[in-house]
Amino acid sequence: MRAERRSGSLMAAPYAAFLLIFAAYPILFALVLVFLKWDLVTTPVFAGADNMRMLATDTRFWRAVANTFVFLSIHLPLQVASALMLALALNRPLAFRSFWRAAFFLPVVISGAVVAILWSNLYATDVGLINGVLVRIGLRPVPWLTDPSTAMPAIAAMVTWKNVGFYVIIYLAGLQYIPRSCKEAIEIEGASTWQRFRFLTLPLLLPQTILVVTLSTINGFQLFIEPYVMTGGGPLRRTYSIVLYLYTNAFAYQKMGYAATIGVALALIIGSVVFIQRRVIGNAEAL
Amino acid sequence: MPSVHFEHVSKRFGATTVVEDFNLDVAEGELLVLVGGSGSGKTTILRMLAGLEEVTEGRIRIDDRDVTALAPRDRDVAMVFQDYGLYPHMTVRENLSLGLRLRKVARTEIERRVTWAADMLQLEPLLDRKPKQLSGGQQQRVAMGRAMVREPLVFLFDEPLSNLDAGLRAQMRIEIGGLQRRLKTTTVYVTHDQVEAMTLGDRIVVLADGRIQQVGRPIDLYRAPVNRFVAGFVGTPPMNFVEGRITGENGGAQFNADGMRFDMLPGRMPTTMPSGPVTLGIRPEDMEVDPQSDGPRNGSVAGRVVLVERLGGTSHVHFDAGPNRMLASVTNERLPAVGDAIDVRINGERAHLFVDDQRVSSAS
Repeated sequence: MRAERRSGSLMAAPYAAFLLIFAAYPILFALVLVFLKWDLVTTPVFAGADNMRMLATDTRFWRAVANTFVFLSIHLPLQVASALMLALALNRPLAFRSFWRAAFFLPVVISGAVVAILWSNLYATDVGLINGVLVRIGLRPVPWLTDPSTAMPAIAAMVTWKNVGFYVIIYLAGLQYIPRSCKEAIEIEGASTWQRFRFLTLPLLLPQTILVVTLSTINGFQLFIEPYVMTGGGPLRRTYSIVLYLYTNAFAYQKMGYAATIGVALALIIGSVVFIQRRVIGNAEAL
Repeated sequence: MPSVHFEHVSKRFGATTVVEDFNLDVAEGELLVLVGGSGSGKTTILRMLAGLEEVTEGRIRIDDRDVTALAPRDRDVAMVFQDYGLYPHMTVRENLSLGLRLRKVARTEIERRVTWAADMLQLEPLLDRKPKQLSGGQQQRVAMGRAMVREPLVFLFDEPLSNLDAGLRAQMRIEIGGLQRRLKTTTVYVTHDQVEAMTLGDRIVVLADGRIQQVGRPIDLYRAPVNRFVAGFVGTPPMNFVEGRITGENGGAQFNADGMRFDMLPGRMPTTMPSGPVTLGIRPEDMEVDPQSDGPRNGSVAGRVVLVERLGGTSHVHFDAGPNRMLASVTNERLPAVGDAIDVRINGERAHLFVDDQRVSSAS
């Protein structure tokens, strides 16, 4: 019994160590930093509630929060709709189905920086592929990343494209679990294709939808690499995300205490948004 | 109520033929049971009637309407599935009413029909529950209610009782039979359970390898099975088969097998005497066991008891007659013990003779 317990602890030890060093320690360190002023070079100084007071009145921070919400308001619906539609399409008997599934999953495993550089070229105003197509069909080119009103939507569309394969997998798994007899029963009962989707498929995919919304919310709040590479937060700070602002404070201004405060605030925001989402969607299920 | 007609229906999946030249007329208001083992094609036939499976050849009519190419929703049939196929996210009430809502039936009419079905199936207290909060029997009733409210032309049942335990299965069998007799809806019922088939069916279709073996009333299948397959399939415990030969004249023909001799009743023999190997078939309930053997007599076989199963009312006596293991179903008070030598009287009126697995003689 004791030997069994010892070998169990030993086997869990590597992961426990990993967790302590790379998750628990940074979290504790960040919580401590909230009350400190530190520039990475000199000795940290106790700052009391200074960082929190500064955060409350920092218009740049709140601007970044608003920007991130704009991003999510475009990204979330787009992500759910695109993943669901692709999953439905890929769930049908289709020529080269494995190829399509792999193709849509590929962007998930490509580095975010690479994708951002690739899409910068696609979005380029004068030489980009997208505008090339628009011009060819007789439309005017759009300054995707340099116009304040289109920059964030453009980034949202790109992030949606990059992640869709992952969420398609989640939806495909959910589709496997819909009993065949249910699908046949509703077909015999007289449902059209749309009605089958509306009354059977969509409600039965609710657990997957909750998961997709939750994961893409958490992921979306951490928006960083795309604006960092593509826009630097511009134009007119419209793509300045929370994490980009955190990064700037930490490694450009070397305000480690303040950056940690932003990080903790971000964690709290994510936590409360996800909590509200689960409440809302959970209630929808009960209806 | 409409009738259903299968005309030269075949179904092939690639090179595999699942149903071969299937012809059948289901009468108005009839409860017809398709019975057979797995792979017999019974479920495929039902699914072709529902429109869930395409017909490779032939056509299916409901009354005069050719439904062969119609989508399931346009056939006006209702189906009860083996796993019920209830919508897990909907309450019982919603499960019952969805089909009517999809067909744009008026709200008051939906209300009336749901109340009617719930009343008939004792579902009122369950109307606001979800399927997973119901027992197997209750889910089964909801599935039947969902078929009933549609008031379809034809009911289709696909092994609806297989997921229930034995007691509940017997009870639901009685309920389904009673319900069908009251509603008088033409019904096609698929099962692998011959007891279910015998007790429920107005007529039974026995299938094997995608072909009809025999169609008839349950008692006809029991009394006069056309071949050895049907004879062995219908009846519990199954019929005993003994391989042997016929000797002697038509007037005094005798069945001879290893360790067994049996005088065939005159008039129960085919006109041409079978010269090759034959099979004698005797149902366990058509034998009488005399616990004391006093030597071979006419119409009886001598055997040695190897097992006695006491079921209460009846008992199964397993015995060896020569190399043949046989089973007699008896109601005697005095049962033999294992190892006893016994005399088993065979009811000659009820003995069946098979040549090349086709029945050539027997009982009326």
